[in-house]
Amino acid sequence: MHLADDSLSLAEADLAYSNDWFIRLRWIASAGVLAGALFVTTIPKTGIPSAPLWIIGTCILLYNLTFSLIARHARASGGSPSAYRRLAYAQMILDWLAITLLVQFTGGIVSPLTFFYVFHVVIACMFFTPKTSFAFTFLAIFSFTTIVVLEYFSILPHYPIIAWRNYRIYVYQDPLYVTTVWASFSITLIILTYLASGRSERLRHREAQVLALSETLKLNSAKLQALNDNARTVNSTLELSQVLNHLVTNTAHVMRVRACSIRLLDKTGKQLEPAAVYGLSQEYQGKGPIELAHSPLDREVLEGKVINIPDVRQSSLLQYPDWALQEGICSMVSAPLMGKSKLLGILRAYADDRDRFTSDDEAFLSAIAAQGSIAIENALAYQTIETLDATKGAFIRVFTHELRSPVSVIRSLLQTVLSGYTGEINPQQRDILDRAARRVDFLRKLIDDLLDLANGRAPQTSADLKAPVPLNGVLENVVKRFELPANEKGLTLEWHGDPPGGECLVWATVEGLDRIFNNLVSNAVKYTPQGGKVRVALNRAAKEAVVEVADTGIGIPAEAMPHLFEEFFRAPNARSIEREGTGLGLSIVRETVNNLGGRVSVQSEPGVGTCFTVTLPLAEAGS
Amino acid sequence: MTQKQILIVDDDPDQRLTIRLPLEAVGYQIHEATNFDEGLVAARELKPDLIILDVMMDSATAGFQLALSMHSPDPESEFKEFKGIPIILLTAIHSTTSLRFAPDEYYLPVEAFLEKPVKPEILVATVRKHMN
Repeated sequence: MHLADDSLSLAEADLAYSNDWFIRLRWIASAGVLAGALFVTTIPKTGIPSAPLWIIGTCILLYNLTFSLIARHARASGGSPSAYRRLAYAQMILDWLAITLLVQFTGGIVSPLTFFYVFHVVIACMFFTPKTSFAFTFLAIFSFTTIVVLEYFSILPHYPIIAWRNYRIYVYQDPLYVTTVWASFSITLIILTYLASGRSERLRHREAQVLALSETLKLNSAKLQALNDNARTVNSTLELSQVLNHLVTNTAHVMRVRACSIRLLDKTGKQLEPAAVYGLSQEYQGKGPIELAHSPLDREVLEGKVINIPDVRQSSLLQYPDWALQEGICSMVSAPLMGKSKLLGILRAYADDRDRFTSDDEAFLSAIAAQGSIAIENALAYQTIETLDATKGAFIRVFTHELRSPVSVIRSLLQTVLSGYTGEINPQQRDILDRAARRVDFLRKLIDDLLDLANGRAPQTSADLKAPVPLNGVLENVVKRFELPANEKGLTLEWHGDPPGGECLVWATVEGLDRIFNNLVSNAVKYTPQGGKVRVALNRAAKEAVVEVADTGIGIPAEAMPHLFEEFFRAPNARSIEREGTGLGLSIVRETVNNLGGRVSVQSEPGVGTCFTVTLPLAEAGS
Repeated sequence: MTQKQILIVDDDPDQRLTIRLPLEAVGYQIHEATNFDEGLVAARELKPDLIILDVMMDSATAGFQLALSMHSPDPESEFKEFKGIPIILLTAIHSTTSLRFAPDEYYLPVEAFLEKPVKPEILVATVRKHMN
C-alpha cells in the first residue's frame, strides 16, 4: 500500500516539474514556428502560406503564456496533483492540435514537420501512462490520416512545399506514395510509443522501488533511533514508575499506535496488575487485574511468546474482549517482560484498526520489551535496596531511641552517687564509678551518633522538612560553639563568612547542616595541637555554596584516606589523641551531605593539616 | 520554715530516684506520680511548690500537654489553680548540638528544661532558681 501511495505522489511532484519544463520548451517551439513563418515569407519558391504559420506560432505563444500564468498560480497556491494533471493534458492536447495544423499547412503527407510528432510521442511517454501515451499516438495517426485522406480527395487544399513556376509535385495524390508514407508514419509512431512508454514505465517502477526502499530504510533508522532513545530514557532513572511511564509512552510513539500498557505480575504470580498506561481511558484502566487463569493470551505471552491479535472480535484469547471493543481497540500485540531470573509482566500495544501489527512490529515490540525488562529489573532491585535501607534506618532510630533512656538513667544514677547525695564514698569506689560513668558516656555518644547517621540517611523524613536555610547563620552558631573549647586549648578559630552576594541559602534542614559542620569543626579542634589554627570559610561558586573547614592539625595518613568516611573507622593517629571515639562522625557528615544533594571532599598532609570542603547546591529564588 | 514540696511526674522509677535523691538531700519534700492523670490528682491534693515533668510518659508528648494545661493562659481554665506553680521539663530529645528547645513563653509555658541525663548539681541549681 505504502509503495503505490508514495510513487503516485512522486509522479505528481514530477508532473508539476514537467509542466514547467513543457512551458520552457514551448517558448522555443513557438519561436521556431514564427521563425519558420518568417522563412516561408522570404522564400518565393514555396507554396506554403505564411499567414497560417504566423497565426499558429502566435497561438502557441499565447496559450503558452496562459499556461505559464496558470502554472505560476498553481505553484503559489500549493497546487493539487489533479490540477497539475489537468494542466498537463490541456497542454498536450493543444500541442497535438498545433502540430497537426502545422503539418496540414506545410504539405500534409510530404510535410517535413511530420517528424516532429516523434517529440510529442516521446514527451507523452515520459509523463503519461502507456495507455494514455498510446491514446495520444492513435489520435496523432487519426489526425494525420484525416489530413492525408482529405487532401487526397482534394477536400482540403494541399500546400506544396516547392511551387517554383509550374513545378508541382502531386505525390500527395499518388496512392502508393501516400500509403507507404502513411504506413511508415503510423508504424514509427506505434513502435516508438511502445519502446518509449515501456522504458519509461520501467524507470517509473524502479523509481517507486527506490522510493519504497528509502522509505523502509528511513523507517528502520527511525526504529533504531527509537530503540536507542528508549534505552536511554528508560535507563536514565531508577524510579520504577518513571521507567514504566517512559516505556509505554516511547513504545506508543515509535510504533505510531494509539495506546500502550504495562502490566506486572503480582506477588502471587497469578494476576497481572496495571503498572503503567498510555492512551487508554480511565474506564478501561479500571477494569482491574487480569487473572492468568482467565486470560489464555497472557498465559501464552508469559511463556515467552509475542502474540499478535489482528482482530479483537475474532479472538477467544482475551479475558475482557468487550472492554477492548468498547474502548475502540481492534487489534493488539503483546510481548513478555522477562527478567534475568523471573517473569516480570507484559508490554502491550493497542491499535484502533484491525490487522495493524506486522511481524516487523512484533519483533520491534519484543526488542523494546527486552530492553525494558532490564530497566524494570534494575528499578525493582533499586527499590528493594531503598526499602531495605529505609527499614534499616527506621530500625536504628527506634532501637537507639530505646537505648538512650536506660543509658541516661544509668548515667544519672551514677552521677547521683558520685555527687555524694547518697552519702560519702571512698576513693576506690569513686574511681570505679568514674570509670563506669566514662563508659556510659561513650555509650551515649555512640547511640547519639548512630541516631544522627540514621537521620542523615532518611531522605523521606527530612525531605519534608527541607527549606531554604541561610548557611551563614548556621555556620556562625557552630563556630561560636567551639570558641571556648578552642580558646582553652590555645587554638585560633577563624571564621570567614561574608561571601559576596550576601546570604547563602541552601535547601536543607538546620539540624542537618548543624550536624555536618558540628562534626567537622569538632574534629578540627580535637585533632589540632596547641598553638594551631582552625579556619572555617564560606564561599559562593556558580550555583553552590562552598564551605571549607581547614586546620593545622595532625593530618590524615595516606593509607587511612580511602577509609575515612567508613562507619566506625578511626585513623591510628586519631586514636592516639583520643582513645574513645565512635568513628561515626565523618560517616554522618557524608550521609547528611549526600542527602542534601551536596559533596564532601578532603585534602590532608600528615603533620601539616587537613581541609574538608563541603559543597551544597544553593536554593536560589524560584528553584 | 516549712519544707518546700516538689512533685515529680515520670513513669520511670529509676529516673524518679535520680531526681528524688539530690533534691531530698538538699531538704525538699518529694512526691511522685507516674502519669498524666496521677500527676493532676497529686497536684490538686498537694499544691506543690514546683513540678518536675518528664516529656515522654504515656505518649511522646504527655509532659508537654500537662505543662500546657497547667499553665494555660485561659482565665477560665479548670487548671487555673496551677498557674503559679513553676514547671521544669525533663527532655530526652536527642542532642549533640545546642539547637534544642528553650523555654518559650508562648510556645511552651514552662520555667526550664533539663536534658537527660540530668546532672544532680544542675538539677538542684535549677530547682532553687525557680522555687517561689
